[in-house]
Amino acid sequence: MTGMERVPMGPPWSVDLIADLHAGVLPPEVAAQLRPRVEADAEAAEILRALDATLEDLQALPPIPMPDHVAARIDAALAAEARPGIAPVVSLNDARKRRNRRLGLGGGVLVAAAAAFGIVFAVAPGGDQANNTPGDAAPAPTTNSNSASAPLSLQRNELGSAVGEVLKAQNYGPLETPDRLAGCLKGGGITSSGTPLGISPINLEGKDAVMAILPAGLGEFRLVVLDPKTCGPDQPAGVLADTTIKPR
Amino acid sequence: MITLAKVRLVTAAASSDADLISAHAAGDPYAFSELVKRHRDRMWAVALRTLRDPEEAADALQEAFISAFRAASSFRAESQVTTWLHRIVVNACLDRMRRRQTRPTVPLPEAGPGEPVAPRDAMSDRETSLMVQQALMELPEEQRAPIVLVDVEGYSVAETAKLLGIAEGTVKSRCARGRAKLAKVLGHLRNRIADANVPADGVNVQEQRQWEGR
Repeated sequence: MTGMERVPMGPPWSVDLIADLHAGVLPPEVAAQLRPRVEADAEAAEILRALDATLEDLQALPPIPMPDHVAARIDAALAAEARPGIAPVVSLNDARKRRNRRLGLGGGVLVAAAAAFGIVFAVAPGGDQANNTPGDAAPAPTTNSNSASAPLSLQRNELGSAVGEVLKAQNYGPLETPDRLAGCLKGGGITSSGTPLGISPINLEGKDAVMAILPAGLGEFRLVVLDPKTCGPDQPAGVLADTTIKPR
Repeated sequence: MITLAKVRLVTAAASSDADLISAHAAGDPYAFSELVKRHRDRMWAVALRTLRDPEEAADALQEAFISAFRAASSFRAESQVTTWLHRIVVNACLDRMRRRQTRPTVPLPEAGPGEPVAPRDAMSDRETSLMVQQALMELPEEQRAPIVLVDVEGYSVAETAKLLGIAEGTVKSRCARGRAKLAKVLGHLRNRIADANVPADGVNVQEQRQWEGR
């Protein structure tokens, strides 16, 4: 079956039919019959020209270079991935799922239950630490009223596992402003100009904290974890962790 | 054991994408970043034009490149590195598009099919680009992705079909639908023609569906 008998071979022309002819959608035998009729008809030929002009418009769209901050962010994620001795950049959701599986709960069940009943619950600081063996890369399912964006719970030796997610965020959390971040970095003797590549609240070994990822020279990136309660321009102890990611 | 000096040399001297993948598999920590640098602008354009939202595009690319980084050691040279990398990026974008399927698609503005946004002659190239870009963004996602790949980025229909995981006939037919809509919105079709037309879901839809699989 060619469908030819159902294809209108004369005016009034449908733009869609001419567009099909133009795009090579029609079976060859139908196209072969239709093409001379279309080309001989002024109105149909005009539609073809309009489609050509549309194609030219699309082909003439200028390239869109990747913005520097996106390029830097991706470089940082790849650098974290390439660095040995730092936990791989895992998806936050994957990490949560792993943990939930171990607890015998599907992540979906947990979230669905929380959503269905409006449950607000949190693991007491330190409580999950007791349940985690050292070096356990899976975070505890710390959940609050905004469970979808609950901060990732981390141990000190697994900061790299948060890099992928933190790079996607520009969330100053309790630090609130870039000025406050700059003050806290200054307190730790860390100089950095401009916006961090990524910043997000986390939970470091039971303590609410903020992780910032900063550019640190060619191909290098600095992970800084700050205590929002104590950090400030004269408070070096407010820097809870500070490590640089660089290729081997 | 490959020394750092040697791997740096490989990165610098690598002349092809395949060399970079091999160097990456051999432990060169710079090789994959170099590969990404070569292709990131084009990938960014695809992701941004497909997803429309810069934050989503950045997230999709980050995920795609990390996924490619991990899979690169098992890369088989029978497929072009660029095609392989593009497929990962396009899949990451499509995944995101599918996840947000519940969101309504922004319809094309009803400015009247024969009423261009502004007289074409009076517009600068930059204005034209912005108008085309805007019109493209408003196409339904299923038409926008093939149009971006085929008409904007210059992929063949066959490559696009592979990237999107659909039949070549479907690529052509979605491009045809999308171009027809764009031709109206961009003012290339005069009132008389556009008005006289059968709507998009007119008499040829049945045949269209039968031919899509070809």
